[in-house]
Formats: sequence, structure tokens, C-alpha cells
Amino acid sequence: MRILVVEDDEVAADYVRKGLMEAGHVVDLAADGETGLEMAKSADYDALILDRMLPKRDGLSLLQELRADGDTTPVLILSALGEVDQKVEGLRAGGDDYLAKPYSFTELLARVEALGRRSDPSAAVTKLKAGDLEMDLLARTVTRAGQKILLQPREFRLLECLMRNAGKVVTRTMLLEKVWDYHFDPQTNVIDVHISRLRSKIDKEFDTPLLQTVRGAGYRLQV
Amino acid sequence: MFAPVKRLLKNTVFRLTMIAALLFSLSSLIVLGYIYYATVISPINAIDRDMEAEMDELTHVFNTSGATVLGRDLFERMSREGTTTFYIYDNNGQVAFNLNAQPLFKSKGTQSLWKKLTGRTSLDVRKFVYNISDPRKPGAPVATHRARGIFRQLSPTVKLFIARDVEGIMAPAERVTRALFVSFILALSLGLISGVFVSLRFAKRIADFNKLATDVRAGDLKRRVPRNDSGDELDVLAQHLNAMLDHIDTLMTAMRYAGDSIAHDLRSPLTRLRTRLEAAAHETKDVAAREALYAASEDAQELLRTFESVLRIARLEAGERREMLVKLDPKPILEDIAELYEPACEDAGLDFYFEAKGQNQIRADRGLLSQAVSNLVENAIKYTPKGGRISLQLKKLKDGRTEISVTDTGPGIPEADRDRVKRRFVRLDKSRTKQGSGLGLALVDAIADLHGAEFKFASGGGEGELPGLKACLVFPRATRKQ
Repeated sequence: MRILVVEDDEVAADYVRKGLMEAGHVVDLAADGETGLEMAKSADYDALILDRMLPKRDGLSLLQELRADGDTTPVLILSALGEVDQKVEGLRAGGDDYLAKPYSFTELLARVEALGRRSDPSAAVTKLKAGDLEMDLLARTVTRAGQKILLQPREFRLLECLMRNAGKVVTRTMLLEKVWDYHFDPQTNVIDVHISRLRSKIDKEFDTPLLQTVRGAGYRLQV
Repeated sequence: MFAPVKRLLKNTVFRLTMIAALLFSLSSLIVLGYIYYATVISPINAIDRDMEAEMDELTHVFNTSGATVLGRDLFERMSREGTTTFYIYDNNGQVAFNLNAQPLFKSKGTQSLWKKLTGRTSLDVRKFVYNISDPRKPGAPVATHRARGIFRQLSPTVKLFIARDVEGIMAPAERVTRALFVSFILALSLGLISGVFVSLRFAKRIADFNKLATDVRAGDLKRRVPRNDSGDELDVLAQHLNAMLDHIDTLMTAMRYAGDSIAHDLRSPLTRLRTRLEAAAHETKDVAAREALYAASEDAQELLRTFESVLRIARLEAGERREMLVKLDPKPILEDIAELYEPACEDAGLDFYFEAKGQNQIRADRGLLSQAVSNLVENAIKYTPKGGRISLQLKKLKDGRTEISVTDTGPGIPEADRDRVKRRFVRLDKSRTKQGSGLGLALVDAIADLHGAEFKFASGGGEGELPGLKACLVFPRATRKQ
């Protein structure tokens, strides 16, 4: 993916750039709001990583200007302000995802990559596929190698989230947010248990395990 | 109609007015009583004594010198100045001798008086009335005067009755006393009415203070007490209160600034710490080193979580988010939590049970409520030994409040520690081996406080309850004005 990172903290920006590049993406940097806006307007990016606190022009106003211009590039907002209402503010301004500092880089990577997929608006998807695993979103059924698998509604949503991001890492926080609409960190490993139950349903009796645990990051459904 | 009256009765100023009115009434009545005594009763007593003395003298004259001499004496006395009227009755009750050379008195009073006097030998007639008409002015209205008299039978045929008109004393005195009494009533009424007005005005000013206090407690720190520059005690109080509020506001702003500064200053280095650890873990081929680095990264994560919780608690206590509360039914939120934690419970070898009774409406923030209940459930999971049970219940109490409770079959919290445990970083000795920072309950407490809910512990074992710890959040009823 071609990614633009607008961040004034040099060290952080540099680090993010290196990390993204290692993950195989092309990264451009801007150190203030004005430059960021110019660059975003002049070139076509697959995703934008935007810090809220910027010199010359703050992140949200940059975003609002882009959206007013008709630009639909997915944007991930970063900020030291983490309260839910500030997240809502950021998302309302046109952001697609919001990550509070301090964040883990793997979280950042997972979310940016998840955003990259979204820039295809024409996809009114009714079926999802990953390997021999198939999910029918209308009929609410899941089959693997032709065999029907019975899932609880929540397990279905969990699998759906993983399948929509097949091949990419989905972090525990992402799952909590998207499947349970939770915005805080639980102490226990609640997600892990749900995952292991899901795993036992979709992987146990089959040859290849699709649902993988990525240490220090989250989970990934193999394609 | 009775409510405003009751309120008035509780008003301090009104009560003081009533006490003052009472004292005023008492002293006025005492004064009036004294005036009446001095102007009416005392002179009348003097007259009585005078008449007694006179009667004694006349009796003596009769006894020593006989009726004729008595008659002469009476005549003599009559020619002197004075208002005494002398009558001598004979046996038939006729006036045998009216010695009063003044216009003839037609005394109605004396006619019936005679009936009273029959058969008696002496009588002190303290008071009687008689009608007086002046024959010199025929057709003039008949006046009724008051008089006092003494009667004695000097001999079987001679009865002496002396009397004095007291109207001249009593009438003006009574007029004066009456006038004073009316003034007293007027003064009292005016006093009471103005008392009521002043009380109401005072009550309004105090109500302003109270309303402000309520608003400030609800989180609005920008309000100030209106001043009227009168310099009276209430105004001075207002001044002080405003100064205090300014101070609190400054402190809160400074605290928020400090909190935000810490957040801002620490976040960048913490982020870097975490990402460096992760990057190092990623890059190293050495398995042991990788494990160690991931572990360190998780510790950093834990550190950050603690840090976030502390800030969160501080923000909640500052009451920043009070406006976020909306009316909702907690049941779906609890269902979600139950569903989220049920597998984790099972995994820990615990039985999980969720029960929600009836319709409930509370004012809450969805995110905060979830967090608080989750913390309680997580604690229950952490501290309940394998094979135990955890229950999450929602029910309406008899007084209309809503109770959300998490009960377990764990060791519970000793009563002595129940308050302490809600404070930041407090961990009971028993729990030191378990993972956690000691902030979970502090966060629940702060959230409960923000919602105006009661957060308390009890030992379970009640009807349908498990025997371990029962942690409850009791929410007030959601009413329209709150």
C-alpha cells in the first residue's frame, strides 16, 4: 500500500515509516498539517495515518478539508487523547479508525492494513471466502469443505471480522471494538477463550488450521 | 396548600420573627395590664377604702348620737365637695331621705339592689350600675353610669347606703387602655406581616445559595453566587463562597492540566518504549531473547493500562463527564457482558449464571457502565476458586432503585476492609500474588459516583444468592428531572 504519515514527532514518524516499509508498504512523511494536506491532495494514497496534534494545521481540520474536497482515502487518526468522546469526534470528522497513543506498532499495522482493504466501495459483499472456508452473509451460514458449521451469533460475527481481514492481523482490541463494541482493555483474556471456541469449531476436524495466533499481536485467518 | 406554610414555619427568619412577636406581645400585655391596674383598679380600691372609712364614721355617729344627728351630719357632708350620694332607706324600701341636693337621681339600680339588700344587715356592694337622667334637660338620653356602694343596717328602721359614681374614673381609663390595646394589635399584625415578607426574601436568597451549591456539586464549576453589594452577612458569605469556587476551579484546571501534561509527556516515551521492545522482539532470531522481549512488551502494556486507569479515575472524579448520562435499560449491556465472559468463566472452571428481572430504567453512560460491571466480573473470576459459581444479576429493589450485582463463591472481602479496598492501589494481602494493579475497584467506585449510584459489598447467602462476595451497584430511579 501507498501510505502517507502525517506526524510531527520525528522519532515516532521515522519509526512508523521504517516499520511500514518493512511490512512492504511505500511510505511518505509530512511533518505538519499544511504539508500533509498538500501531499494528500496532490497524490493518491491507499491510506493516511494522521496525528491530531500538528503544527500549522491540526489533524482534524486537515481531515475535514479533505472530506469536503470529496477525498475518500481511508484515514487512521492517532492521538494522545483517548477518551471515547474524542474518538467519536475524530470519526465524525471523517476518520475511519482511531488509535490512542501509546499504541503498539502491530496494532497500528493491523489497522492500517485493514483500512487498505476498505477502499473498494463497490463491493456489496454477500459471501466471504478464506481457503475452503465459506461464509454466506445473507443466509448466515458457514461451511468448510462443504460441511456446514453451526455457530452462535457472536461467533459468527467474530469469524466475519476475521474473514473480512483475511490474511491480516486483527488485534484483540479491534475484535472487542467491532464485535462487542467495547472500548477498553479487559484484564483477563476474554477474547482468547472465544477464539479458542471458534477455532475448535472451524479448525479441529479439518486438515489445515486456518485461525492462527500471532504472538504479541492478535489473530489472523489464513487465506 | 400546606406545603408553603410548612416551609414558612421552617424558615429561620420567620421563627425569629415569631419569637420576637411573642416577646413583644408578652411585654405589651404586661404593660397594658399595669396601666389598667394603675388607672382603674387602684383608684377604685382607694374609693372602696374611703367609703368603708366613711361608713364606719357614720355608724359611729348614729350609734352615739342617733338618727337626727346622723341626718345633720349627712347633710353637712353633702354640702361639701364630693361625689358621694347618701340614701337612708326605711323598712319599705322607700327612700326616706335623699340627702343629695343635686338633681334627683332615678336609680334603677337601687330598686333591684333593694331586693338584694332585704334581710341583710350589711353588704359591700362592689359594683352596680344605675341610670342617670338630668331633670333639668328633659328628653336628654339616659346614661348608664357605674358606681360602687356600701350598705349597712344601723337599726331595724334605719338603713344606710352610701355610694359613689366611678364612671368618671373608669370611662377615660378604659378608653385609654382600649386605644393602647388596639395599637398593640396593629403593631403585632404589621410586625407579623413584615416578618413574613422578610422571611420570604431571606429564604429566596438562601435558596439561591443552595441551588448554586447543588449545581456546583453536579459539576458546574463556573457558577458564582450573585452579589447584591449590600455588605450584609449574606453578601459577605457570598463573597467567600465565590472566592472558594474560584479556588476550586483553579485547582481543577491545574489538575486537569497536570493530568493532561503527564498524559502528553509520558505517552510519547511510553509509546516508543513499547514499539522498541516489539521491534527488537521482531528482529531477534534468538528464541529466548524474543520471549523475554515479548514479555517485557506485555509488561509495558500493563504499565500503560495502569497509567490509563489512573488518569481515567482522576477524570471521572473531576466530574468531567456528567453530561454523558442517558436514560437506558441496562439489560442488553449486561447480556453482552455475560456473553463476553461466559467462556472465560468456563475456562476457569467456574459456573456462570445471568439473571435479569423486569424493566429497568437508569441514567447511565453505556461505556462506563460496561467497564464497571466488567471489572466486577473479572474480579469475581480472578478470586473464585475452581468449581465455584459466579452470578450476574439485575433486579429492581423495593424502593424502586435498580440493583446490578455480581456474586461469587469466593473468599469474599472482610467487612473491615470493604471501604479500604475501593481506594487506589489498595490490594489485600491475600491478593498480592494475583495479577492486577489494585485500581479496578477504584475505577468502579469513581464510575458509581459519577452515576450517583451506590457501590457496596455484602456477604452473599441471601435468598437466591451465592455465599461468597456480593458486589452491587445500586442506581437511583431515572426520573425526568435529574
